[in-house]
Amino acid sequence: MSGLLQQLFNGLVSGSFYALLALGLSVIFGMLGVVNFAHGAFYMLGAFGAFVLLDSAGLSWWLALLVVPILLGVIGMVLERLFVHRLMHLFPLYNFLLTFGIALILQDLIRMKYGVTSQPYARPSILDGSVDLGLFTYPKYQVFVFVFSIALSGLVWLVLSRTRVGMIVRASTERAELTQSLGIDVRRWVTPVFGFGIALAGLAGVLAAPMRAVNSSMGADLIIVIFAVVVIGGLGSVLGSVAAGYIVGMVTAIGNFYVPALSQSLVFVLMALVLLLRPAGLFGREEGVHA
Amino acid sequence: MLNVDNVTARYGEAQVLQGVSLDVDTGEVVTLVGRNGAGKTTLLRCLMGLHRSMTGDIRFDGTSIATLSPHKRCRAGLGYVPDDRGIYASLSVEENLTLPPVVGPDAWSLEKVYETFPVLAERRRQAGTHLSGGEQQMLAMARVLRMGARILLADEPTEGLAPLLVRQIGEIIRTVKEHGVTVLLIEQNVHFASTVADRHYLIAQGRVVESLDNAEVEQREHELLEYLGI
Amino acid sequence: MATKLTTAGALTATIAMGAVIAGCAGAGGPQSDSGAITDDAIKLGVITDLSGVYSELAGPNAVEAVTMAVEDFKAEHGEDVVTQNIEVTDADHQNKPEIANTTAREMYDRDGVDAIFDVPTSSAALAVANVAKQNQKMYFNIGAATTELTGEQCNAYTYHYAYNTYMLAHGTGKTVTEQGAENWYIIYPDYAFGQDMNKSFTAAIKDAGGSVVKADPTPFPNDNFSTFMTKAPTLSPKPDVMGTMQAGGDLVNVVKQYNEFGLRDKGVELAVGLMFDTDIASIGVDKLEGTLYTTPWFWNLDDQSREWADRFKDRTGTRPTFDHAANYSAAMQYLQAIQRAGSDDADTVREELDGHTFDDFFARNAEFRAADHAVTHDAHLARVKEESDVEEDFDFTELVETIPADEAYMDAADSGCEMG
Repeated sequence: MSGLLQQLFNGLVSGSFYALLALGLSVIFGMLGVVNFAHGAFYMLGAFGAFVLLDSAGLSWWLALLVVPILLGVIGMVLERLFVHRLMHLFPLYNFLLTFGIALILQDLIRMKYGVTSQPYARPSILDGSVDLGLFTYPKYQVFVFVFSIALSGLVWLVLSRTRVGMIVRASTERAELTQSLGIDVRRWVTPVFGFGIALAGLAGVLAAPMRAVNSSMGADLIIVIFAVVVIGGLGSVLGSVAAGYIVGMVTAIGNFYVPALSQSLVFVLMALVLLLRPAGLFGREEGVHA
Repeated sequence: MLNVDNVTARYGEAQVLQGVSLDVDTGEVVTLVGRNGAGKTTLLRCLMGLHRSMTGDIRFDGTSIATLSPHKRCRAGLGYVPDDRGIYASLSVEENLTLPPVVGPDAWSLEKVYETFPVLAERRRQAGTHLSGGEQQMLAMARVLRMGARILLADEPTEGLAPLLVRQIGEIIRTVKEHGVTVLLIEQNVHFASTVADRHYLIAQGRVVESLDNAEVEQREHELLEYLGI
Repeated sequence: MATKLTTAGALTATIAMGAVIAGCAGAGGPQSDSGAITDDAIKLGVITDLSGVYSELAGPNAVEAVTMAVEDFKAEHGEDVVTQNIEVTDADHQNKPEIANTTAREMYDRDGVDAIFDVPTSSAALAVANVAKQNQKMYFNIGAATTELTGEQCNAYTYHYAYNTYMLAHGTGKTVTEQGAENWYIIYPDYAFGQDMNKSFTAAIKDAGGSVVKADPTPFPNDNFSTFMTKAPTLSPKPDVMGTMQAGGDLVNVVKQYNEFGLRDKGVELAVGLMFDTDIASIGVDKLEGTLYTTPWFWNLDDQSREWADRFKDRTGTRPTFDHAANYSAAMQYLQAIQRAGSDDADTVREELDGHTFDDFFARNAEFRAADHAVTHDAHLARVKEESDVEEDFDFTELVETIPADEAYMDAADSGCEMG
């Protein structure tokens, strides 16, 4: 029993990464109608940001956790202003070409500078060791990752459900054009929301640096799963994508435990099932986000 | 109050509006009557600034709004109810009401909205899309009142509603008018149109072909119905 | 990085036409006027991963190693060299078998390449072996690990030079078991290399009297091994050691998470199937201290290795991996065979090589084994140094023991190779 619980907890930890990435992806998709294929690249840049700041400026991981997402968020906003907003009224193929192109360029820039092998990154020493969770002991760092991402998701949820800004973001995510014609300057919100989504991806990257291999392809390998997570959660449902992140994490962990060979495809089997039974996704439009 | 001058619009290759001109005076209720595909919805979208390939001029209170973006037209006093009513699933009934900013001095308070439409008060915490079709239409119009818009642009508010509910919508429109709000609505139900509106524009193939008053509509109802294919 | 053409356009066209005609004749194109150098040039083609996951452990520096061998060879023989025209060309196969296949065909048929080197990734390596067999041209595989190259898919023109899964398994699997870690939990990436490694390790562990409690395939690529880390100590009987067959970024993930979950404190040691210095640098020496693994060569092995590694570093700015060293060694052995035979005809050269024994800085007690075309040589069981003992970048490894060539390679009789 404790073995199964431990697997579920494993799932929650990896789900933390899925949730943070899916959250940003889903807000960006809702508000701009843009599927951001570069999302994984920003996750990778987050991890590299932490590495570079430590390596060249001796900046601790804790500071990186603050600085890197802000930096990447700003870069995201610049990219949005320069390129991404032009996609809003174009054929979806351009969306793919631009964002996938950005992903490849970012990956190759990192590869030119740092090669293909992984960069070393040690976790902060205060998070070394394990904690006793009652039924089992668990690495302290990973417990931190889980608690941190749950707290952050909770905070985002509060902002989305309780504030006027949150209401505007929900409305614009669901129907951008209508919201525009109801007197809200959606475009003014698009840029910061894009930056926020990118910052979350970067934050996930910083969190990943001490426990995952830091290399140029780390985001590309992850992004496909994240797309599946967003579809499972329901396109246009911001909180659905967070919930789906944790659910997919747990399903994958259980799958890994009982049938390791299948675990890779399990996410996509789950996606196919959800699409068959609830085409709008688990938390799709019908049930949306309520205050 | 609203002057539309030689407006054209296209969807890709297709010219949907071929130069529409019409005027709506303050306090009037005017309907746009015409077959499906005549260009009525496109015209309303042009008025709101939602249709990108448009030429011609639109003046509101004498000022051109033709190049303003949708949110600025809303803030100028245009209240829009799209053909699917535009109710958000991810917002509660109350949030649906309070999402748009207050744009005019005559904006209704939330209390007044709830007093006038008690059913909305009962369901204020529910998701907007959990309301029935008629209630959603009520919510969409109440939202325009709560903004304090000076003109209501409604795209076929009675579509798909049972006769009892159609009558209810008629009452809401009269309430709107009583509060000094000008109304421009798209309507296929000629009979309904003649009970709520002062004047009518008949639109065909992207043009205004006739301007009718209520008497003319009653006189020619049979002919009009046939023309509209109803 | 495309292949280079050295002749004028008209001449190229003629050669191309000749190749087509020769191809139509059905012989596959080798010219058999033995006793001469065809086109008065020897062309060495390096097919490798120039930009992907193996581009640092093989890649551009493998090409550089072959070029270095050519220069050293010319310098050694001076005036008496069999020809001054020795060219090196390279191509990127992106680790894909279909690209490797077409590239190899182009090199042999169109560019007149006499021998192909490197070709990491087992599936791509086997694809090129097939082309070499059809074209009857020389092929020295260095970068790939599969024993199939000298097993059921062996052929007369293909030599497997540096290492294979049997060597890695018998070095690490057998030694660690004999040292008392009898119960193993193996995790392997679910593709050809991983499956092959799992098979070889399981066999080696059983030979040494140990047992594999469980072997789990893992997704590839994968960044989350927490399931396997929490599973390991709960297996019955509890494994003494976790054997990871992951490579590159996945290996980094495994080791980081092995440390996260404190498995060593829970009594589960770590053994690594295949590891390069680049991997150790990525993970950090401190995280791997004491880890045992098998390697055909490492640069700090002894004086002659260090001397070559210094020259390599002068050219490239970095320390060589065993793949780089083996590329140099293989190219050198190939050129020396041509020098001895006085011909670059493939059949003449392979006859010259078969049974040839030699020693160089990379390969000790080495033999071009005629029966299955494995180039057998000593392998080395190595240990990752303590962090405090590291004196410079990539000085990560110390020798535990040398595994003699006849133990490092399976008997030719067991290989399943029937040389056609």
